Amino acid sequence: MRWSVLGWRLASFAVAAGIIALWQLAANQRLISPVFLPGPDRAWASLMRGFTSGDLLTKLMGTLTHMAYGWLLASIAGVALGAMIGSSKAMRIYVAPTLELLRPLPVSAIIPVAIAALGLSQGMALFVIAFGSLWPMLLGTVHGFAAVEPRLYEVARVLHMSRLAVIFKIALPSAAPDILAGMRLSLTVALILAVVCEMLAGLDGLGQWVLLSARSFRSADLFAGVMLLGVIGYVTALAMGAAESRLLRWQAARR
Amino acid sequence: MAEPALALVQSSPSPARAQIAFDNVALMLGGKAIINTISLDVAAGEILCVVGASGCGKTTALRLAAGLYQPTGGSVRFEGEAMRAPRREIAVVFQDYGKALLPWRTAAGNISLALETIGMPSAQREARITELLAKVGLAGHAAKYPTEMSGGMQQRLQIARCLAQDPKVLLMDEPFGALDAMTRQGLQDEMLALVASTGATVVFVTHDLEEAIYLGDRVIGLLPHPGRVGLELKIDLPRPRDQLATREHPEFLRLRRALFDFIKASE
Ligand SMILES: Nc1ncnc2c1ncn2[C@@H]1O[C@H](COP(=O)(O)OP(=O)(O)O)[C@@H](O)[C@H]1O
Ligand SMILES: [Mg+2]
Repeated sequence: MRWSVLGWRLASFAVAAGIIALWQLAANQRLISPVFLPGPDRAWASLMRGFTSGDLLTKLMGTLTHMAYGWLLASIAGVALGAMIGSSKAMRIYVAPTLELLRPLPVSAIIPVAIAALGLSQGMALFVIAFGSLWPMLLGTVHGFAAVEPRLYEVARVLHMSRLAVIFKIALPSAAPDILAGMRLSLTVALILAVVCEMLAGLDGLGQWVLLSARSFRSADLFAGVMLLGVIGYVTALAMGAAESRLLRWQAARR
Repeated sequence: MAEPALALVQSSPSPARAQIAFDNVALMLGGKAIINTISLDVAAGEILCVVGASGCGKTTALRLAAGLYQPTGGSVRFEGEAMRAPRREIAVVFQDYGKALLPWRTAAGNISLALETIGMPSAQREARITELLAKVGLAGHAAKYPTEMSGGMQQRLQIARCLAQDPKVLLMDEPFGALDAMTRQGLQDEMLALVASTGATVVFVTHDLEEAIYLGDRVIGLLPHPGRVGLELKIDLPRPRDQLATREHPEFLRLRRALFDFIKASE
């Protein structure tokens, strides 16, 4: 088991290295004009320059902040609303169809609405990011709360557990796998929307950096920004995965 | 002797009040009479076994005793008081132990759930958990999750959690029904020893006629459609019971025959 995991790791590193090598080769051979495609060497140099001059770090922090606030807001609202809807059968019957109707609505469609209502502001970005990342968590929580083993509620009744204890000791832990899966999906959504909002509203962040670099044909800066976005996506997913496997240790026992 | 009437009242032993009393209990579910009617007294410390064909209302009767259902006719009383809701003195061992345990809590955590709920300070919990795990033969398994345990171990754990409630009554719904024969016999003897040490009252539902006779002080047989008592057998077999000697006892064989005939006729 251990060895095969190690083997896969090595293989994936080899693939990544191969792609970078090809990229360098393509750039060196000038298959695509360097105006559009810088080599990894130039992108890396631009990344380092961006950090030492300080500007890129500000943009990075900007994107991370937008993403984090929107995602956290969505997490709180999604879990609270989801718990309310999921734990009541009547609520599920009345509200679930509306949710199903709203869910497939592309968030990009509400961006103009948000801009009209809130202007090109941080508030608009917060709203759009939170609204977009709300759905996976809301639906995950609704499903998780609806799927709590009824027998456990009877155990709670026999033990005379308080309502609060039932929520925190039975419903939430039982729904945790669904909630966390929703949170993981939302992370990606939050990153995408943070970039989109920064581009549209000119907010300090990597979205704005990428857009301005592209407009002024600074392809190395553009690639540095895109690479950084990839790293954010990868690292946050990794952190979320680690949090999940820690919180859901009991599920590992099941497998 | 001047007032014999008064003397008579004073000297008469107060009637042994039933711990659990079913008084003309009826229950309708979904417009259907599921129980109609059961009158029954369970004395403190008694082991009452309930048998009956599948679907005759055994589980329903047990849920009435637990306060998980309210009767639509008659009354269920605990120590003379009408049962309006479940009570902590009455613990329920569910048949489906896999569903009744919290999979995200270890064995110790599952027992802790009951201790937290009765408000035991956290400093005292650990010692009590260790004690309870040892009592049901799970010493050394405190850190295991239910899914890492065999069926027999999971049911032992559920029993330990019920004991953590310090119950006066244990209601058990086919608790060993899903276990293999060897495990089942082991658990039967463990349960008898536990009950003997705590003095708890037990209502034990089973579809295994021999199990009912082996465990019980009394066995009642339910008739189906609607559920009602069709047979009551007093079990006068010596205690402690023994898996071999008790099951070979002529009285055991006689009772088994009687119960078997009853079930056969009720189907
Ligand atoms: N919630 C319910 N609504 C309607 N009918 C029920 C319900 N629960 C049980 N019943 C019916 O009541 C009868 C007795 O069920 P149960 O007590 O589970 O039987 P047993 O435990 O003896 O097998 C069955 O016919 C079953 O279909
Ligand atoms: Mg049953």
